[in-house]
Amino acid sequence: MHTPISEQASQSSILGDVTSKSKFNRAARVRFTNRLFQSYFLFSILALCFVLALVIVFIAKTGFLTFETVSFKEFFLSFNWTPEEEHYGAAAFIVNTIILTGLTLLISVPISIAIAIFNAEIAPAWFRSFIRPVLDLLVGIPSIVYGYLGLTVLIPFLREWTGEGLADGIFAAALVLSLMILPTISRISDDAITAVPKKYREAAYALGSTRLQVILKVIVPAASRGIMTAVILGMTRAIGETMAVVMVIGNTAQLATTLFTPTSVLTSNIVMQISNVEFESTWNYALHMMAFLLLAISMILILIIRFIRAKGGAQA
Amino acid sequence: MNVFKKFTVLTLATMFVITSAFAGSAAAAGDTLKGKITINGSTALLPLTLQAAKEFQKLHPKVSFAASGKGSVTGPQAVKKGIADIGACDWDASTDVPGFKAFEGQVANKVAVIPFATVVNKNVGVDNLTTEQLKGIYSGKITNWKDVGGADEDIVVITRAFGSGTRVNYQAKALGGGDIVKKSKNYKEVGSSGDMKTAVATTPNSIGYIDLVYVSGDIKAVKFNGVEATAENVINGKYKIWSYGYYMTKGQPTGEVKAFIEYIQNKKFQTTTAKKMKFIPLSAMK
Repeated sequence: MHTPISEQASQSSILGDVTSKSKFNRAARVRFTNRLFQSYFLFSILALCFVLALVIVFIAKTGFLTFETVSFKEFFLSFNWTPEEEHYGAAAFIVNTIILTGLTLLISVPISIAIAIFNAEIAPAWFRSFIRPVLDLLVGIPSIVYGYLGLTVLIPFLREWTGEGLADGIFAAALVLSLMILPTISRISDDAITAVPKKYREAAYALGSTRLQVILKVIVPAASRGIMTAVILGMTRAIGETMAVVMVIGNTAQLATTLFTPTSVLTSNIVMQISNVEFESTWNYALHMMAFLLLAISMILILIIRFIRAKGGAQA
Repeated sequence: MNVFKKFTVLTLATMFVITSAFAGSAAAAGDTLKGKITINGSTALLPLTLQAAKEFQKLHPKVSFAASGKGSVTGPQAVKKGIADIGACDWDASTDVPGFKAFEGQVANKVAVIPFATVVNKNVGVDNLTTEQLKGIYSGKITNWKDVGGADEDIVVITRAFGSGTRVNYQAKALGGGDIVKKSKNYKEVGSSGDMKTAVATTPNSIGYIDLVYVSGDIKAVKFNGVEATAENVINGKYKIWSYGYYMTKGQPTGEVKAFIEYIQNKKFQTTTAKKMKFIPLSAMK
């Protein structure tokens, strides 16, 4: 860091000109500041990478200790999770997580894409400028609020509707999650659809398409990669969501055989049990392994997003 | 300033009287006590701990506290690892309980009496349950309220997650060591006393169990073997579902930790602050 400054100083003394001297000093300062900020920015990103690596290593290290006492086969294929009797089958949680996420997407994707299309293509400008901030606001609502509403409003309603005694389960959780990820998906899809060049629409109309044909055959396909990104982002949020799910799913370690069976997913099981287990126990390791699975799933999904983006960067 | 000084003198004086009356050794330590006491463990005992720490600090300003609450089992665990000086726990962790092995070398210091109650949703007509009936309900043999004298409605069982201190005590005292059996329907696990209250209050035909202090409004405590869940019945020995709250320490407590535990166990603290917070004074128990 010192060398460039002294170099500059000697250079300026050779030139001996007052204006160029101050100029060079200024250049030196700029260069110094640049260097400083470069190392600061580099440090920031490296610190983040370091923490991330630490998290992954720690969770993986603790998680894989599970397999000292539990076989791979039992952990991934057994549906029997009774840690107090040394049964550590996590298959029920994995399957439940997949079912819950699938059902959530099934409910929320059609609705949120409809919202996005309406917003971007059909709605008048004043309505659009009203609904976009509203959706942004919804994205920011803490999940515990959704969970509490689910518990106090949705569940009693479902109970009445189905005649179930409890009504907690996959269906209630999927409804709450759908509401949660709906704004995320529709806002991002909205942006993707708005980004479709105007000439596409004009060309389609010029060829005599109806509005529906323009939307379904031209705009949505053109924005499909952006919409895919939106869906995957919504999906990662749904998979990782914990508090809202815990409040409405019933937290019972068993396979969801019906939509209203009280059950448990990876996240809800971790949060329910982690504070009640001993540090150095297979149970604790198994919970860490489940956390690692969640991490792995999220990472795979994010890699898929990058892949889609890279392929279709020009379009979306 | 003057008032404050007077107050300090007064509290110090009372402290001396108390300590000399109840613990000779602590009195000798007087206000020379200093250091940091770290307390981990049970959320049920946390309010009591915080209040006691606040009062204790007025007497010994050089002692500082770091208290946090999580599951009961984290208390003795933190003590074992040397993270905490005191591990608050809803059961005696120096002995084996269902699901948890004894923590070797730890001493259990009783600090409070925690009564528990069987609670039901307001819409349930039953107001008394026997040990046998509760066993039947929690093991899944009794699934309809009409079998225990109520309306023809399915029983919704709400229980705390395995490892909860409340669950450990309830299973031991109310179910006579009986099992809580997972069911595919009408069965829900919750993570805390607050969740239990919300769940029982909002679910018709539900049954659960909770610290007595939480019973109010929307949930109804039922009699256990004909005895009402009240502080009086715990004291006179008729009501059996209660337990001591413990401070676990590594070996016998010493120094400021000992002084603090003695402060909590002291009759004055027990009959004023602890009682105000709806714990039953230790001294009232026989």
